Amino acid sequence: MKITETIDIRFPKTLAEALRLQAGEKTRGQLLAGGTDLMVQWASGAPTPERATSIWNLPELDAIEIFDDFIEVGAGVTHAFLRDAAPIHRHLPALVAAAATIGAAQIQARGTLGGNAANASPAGDTAPALLVSGGSVLLASRSGTRTVPLDRFWTAYRRIDAQPDEIIVAFRLPRKGSARERFRKIGTRRAQAISKVMAASRIRIVKGRVTSAAIALGSIAPTPVRLSAVESLLVGQKLTPALIDEAEQLAQATVQPIDDIRSSADYRRWASGRLVRDALENL
Amino acid sequence: MTKPQSPPRRLIGQGMMRVDGDGKVRGTTRYLNDLAYRGLLHGAVVRSPVPRGLLKGITPDPDYDWSGITFVTAADIPGINVVHMHDRTMPLLAELGGEIRYRGEPVGVVAARTPERAAAAAAHIRLDIEVLPPLLTLQEAVAVFKARPGAFDSMKDQSIVKGDLARGFAEADDVLEAEYWAGHQEQLYLENQGLIVFPQKDGSILVEGSIQCPYFPVHELNDPLQLPPEKIRVRQTPIGGAFGGKEDYPTMLTGYAALPALKSGRPVKITYERNEDILFTPKRHPVWVRYKTGFKKDGTLTAIECDFLLDGGAYLTLSDVVMFRGILHCALAYRCDNVTIRGRVARTNSMPCGAFRGFGAPQAIWGLESHLDAIAARLGKPPHLYRLQVHARPGDVTPTGQVLSGENGSTACLKLALQRADFARKLKRCSRGRLRRGQAKWYGIGLAFFGHGAAFTGDGEAKFKAKGRVELTRLADGRPGIDIRVSSTEMGQGVHTVFTQIAADALSLDPGRIRFPLADTGLTPNSGPTVASRTTMVVGNVVHRAALDLKRQIESFASRRHFKGAAVELRRSQLVAPGRPPLPFARVARDMLAELGGASGFFQFELPPETKWDQQAFVGDSYPGYSWSANIAEIEIDPLTCEIDVKRVTAVLDIGRVINPVTASGQVEGGLTQALGYALLEKIGTGRNGLYDAARLQTYIIPTARDIPEFDVQFVEYPYTFAPPGAKGLGELPMDGLAPAIANAVEAATGRRIRTLPITPEAIFAALHPAQGAPAS
Repeated sequence: MKITETIDIRFPKTLAEALRLQAGEKTRGQLLAGGTDLMVQWASGAPTPERATSIWNLPELDAIEIFDDFIEVGAGVTHAFLRDAAPIHRHLPALVAAAATIGAAQIQARGTLGGNAANASPAGDTAPALLVSGGSVLLASRSGTRTVPLDRFWTAYRRIDAQPDEIIVAFRLPRKGSARERFRKIGTRRAQAISKVMAASRIRIVKGRVTSAAIALGSIAPTPVRLSAVESLLVGQKLTPALIDEAEQLAQATVQPIDDIRSSADYRRWASGRLVRDALENL
Repeated sequence: MTKPQSPPRRLIGQGMMRVDGDGKVRGTTRYLNDLAYRGLLHGAVVRSPVPRGLLKGITPDPDYDWSGITFVTAADIPGINVVHMHDRTMPLLAELGGEIRYRGEPVGVVAARTPERAAAAAAHIRLDIEVLPPLLTLQEAVAVFKARPGAFDSMKDQSIVKGDLARGFAEADDVLEAEYWAGHQEQLYLENQGLIVFPQKDGSILVEGSIQCPYFPVHELNDPLQLPPEKIRVRQTPIGGAFGGKEDYPTMLTGYAALPALKSGRPVKITYERNEDILFTPKRHPVWVRYKTGFKKDGTLTAIECDFLLDGGAYLTLSDVVMFRGILHCALAYRCDNVTIRGRVARTNSMPCGAFRGFGAPQAIWGLESHLDAIAARLGKPPHLYRLQVHARPGDVTPTGQVLSGENGSTACLKLALQRADFARKLKRCSRGRLRRGQAKWYGIGLAFFGHGAAFTGDGEAKFKAKGRVELTRLADGRPGIDIRVSSTEMGQGVHTVFTQIAADALSLDPGRIRFPLADTGLTPNSGPTVASRTTMVVGNVVHRAALDLKRQIESFASRRHFKGAAVELRRSQLVAPGRPPLPFARVARDMLAELGGASGFFQFELPPETKWDQQAFVGDSYPGYSWSANIAEIEIDPLTCEIDVKRVTAVLDIGRVINPVTASGQVEGGLTQALGYALLEKIGTGRNGLYDAARLQTYIIPTARDIPEFDVQFVEYPYTFAPPGAKGLGELPMDGLAPAIANAVEAATGRRIRTLPITPEAIFAALHPAQGAPAS
């Protein structure tokens, strides 16, 4: 099916103008950033809106700023920019690795971090990496701004904690510091693949003991999820082979994935534990 | 003393640049959707929303604006509502009062000024259908076959019997039985299906489109359209890939477009979007194959019993011939005196399956090559040594009683592949489910060995008599040149280039003066469809012989006109006679064009007169020639995730004389990649609603460049001397054997044999953890 309806697309020049246009809207569905999700959905027969607002190239959404404790990544930053932004590689390596696995080069050049989060697909590759940073989302509307912790941002399948008049402005992501991060994706093939399961982790070890642990999975639940039970198991412990076995089994016991076109629930459950093992064995 | 002549420069065997390459690389080649026509109507097919039912009513929505829209149903068919195909049972459009047999079966066609308006109007046709319970899949059909054979609905049965099966099993020391499965595979050509039907003033039609076999619509639609073959003219547009997918289906599409074209008097174009193309065009047949084999302690195969079931879909179309090719490959490659193979085509309520590169052979070889490794394992013999022991070679007799001639390089393929891949040494490093010293991943190496019958089955080529011409003409620059006139279509495989090489060598002319116009059934003799790995072997011989015929005519003209009757030879673009100054070809050709208006060399293919084939009993010479190949796959599997990485593939092939080693290697690498997708990635199921579950490129997963291994492709040449220049079949061979080679490598890596394609990480996980969901060991 081709897109046959006419969509009135507005091109605000500033965030303020975009917020003004968005103020009267009843849904967020017509906010168009890179378009890599929406254009495909519209072309596949999803209802097209009468009008849309392009937030592509808004200068207020485009910056990456490095602060002492955190990095603020603009919502309009593309996956390609993240992939190539050397200064942040050592601060947010899992996010950079995730961005580099999304789609093809063309998709990475258009797709944005804010768009990936707002699309709220359980298979969104950047979501687990964002989650393990322990950071938050900055939302703006005409009435002001507010901050939502990332682990409360994805509320249900394809639902986010954002009002129709709000625009995602940036992500405030704590730098990893001395912790180790890892991202691994099991996709449908070796490139241009949608995830069957993926995992991101940020784990800090001081004097042989885990002092903090964040592990998140994607594609195994209606939303990206933190494995808090596994995290609690690890904190304060030495990473022995027995503990890694236990963490793997706990992860498998915790998750409740589904069968779909890309994989089976059984495999996903097993692989969830395997990716936890992978994270812990490769610190 | 005469000076020794330098031999004529030969193009055969050289990697000549693709003659169609420039336009394709620059993007100047104009495909169907690049051709702008005015006044076209666009067709949209109205399809059944259920996989089975009785069609009780077709009602255009009375509240919809139907102005400017042409709508046709079976009632508009001028003749008999049937597409000929192989058994004249499939209606062109579902008949009112008749049975709907698959989801998406065409019920009508709407044509309008824009594709969008046509699609919108098609959605306003109300269908009244009494729903009946469907039988959707091969799994369901096989369950019936096993439990209640009498209730199994087979559209075609055929057996091959050699020797005495009971005696063979009596002689056996051991018996091994196993079943193998594979699902649908989509051709996924880059350019979707599409064509335009132009109604002509005299009541005939002209068809233009992406059509692999231009003569098929000419001969398959005479009854429904009430048009004789000469009133259906088909012109091929450049084809953006086909792989068999544009063999049978364009005939049906021509019928869908012709009906509103004839009714409205306006040209009608139908092109599919990818989603519609995947959902509603034919795919590779799913297969269930059961082998029961008897063998002695020394490995001698004493009995092969095989049941080979294909899912034909709702109508036979060409599935009988796919099944024939399948059973002819079920036991081809190995020595055994007692063979019984029973082929069947199951009827299911699904889109009829059709042609796809390999045409039944990949399904047969998938089972046989998996099973042969299993026999070797039972015997405790390494798989390569066992194949060296029992493989078929010159002097051996095939299951149909054909004696293999000395032109079969089966042994050479096997030995060279084993040597190049260092198979024997690497086999010892295989992990078999336990990491060995120095391994981070499970390693496996797997072998498959197989033949592929080239050209039409049996005496098909003798009956068909492929015809072609090579003509002297004026080219676009006004100067003389050559036209190759055969109906073989260029669809990426390189036929335009290899035929140019063959004609240039036969004529001893510069290939730059040779042209290969796209097939037009109004102008091009019928050299047969571009299928069955027959083109270079059979039609290449037609081009060679027709070019020699033209060369003799040019020489004879020059002798009479320019050399006073002396013996003349056309050599390296010059007419040469002893003791005379040579004349350039261009000069003689200009005179010939002026005096005779042109000249044409002709040839009609024949098989050797001693060829014998009994189509009823399936006894005799089942193919004119055989190509051979050995494939070796080296893989790594990550024990952490069961992800499979094919690192390296060695393929050695005997395709007879290699006309162009560069295009041939490219065709092999492409085919191996398609086979890799079949082996590992391309999973497509059927939902209870009768629709395929992976109907988009997002869900139908084919290999990317990152999934492609390192290839080592080598040829050994055992030419088919009966038909110079001596090529055998190439097109399908690379698709045939990589899937079982990978399955054998998976077994070597994990210790588990997977008997269903595709072999996904999920399948390996399930094989390693029979109690599902059990924690990893």
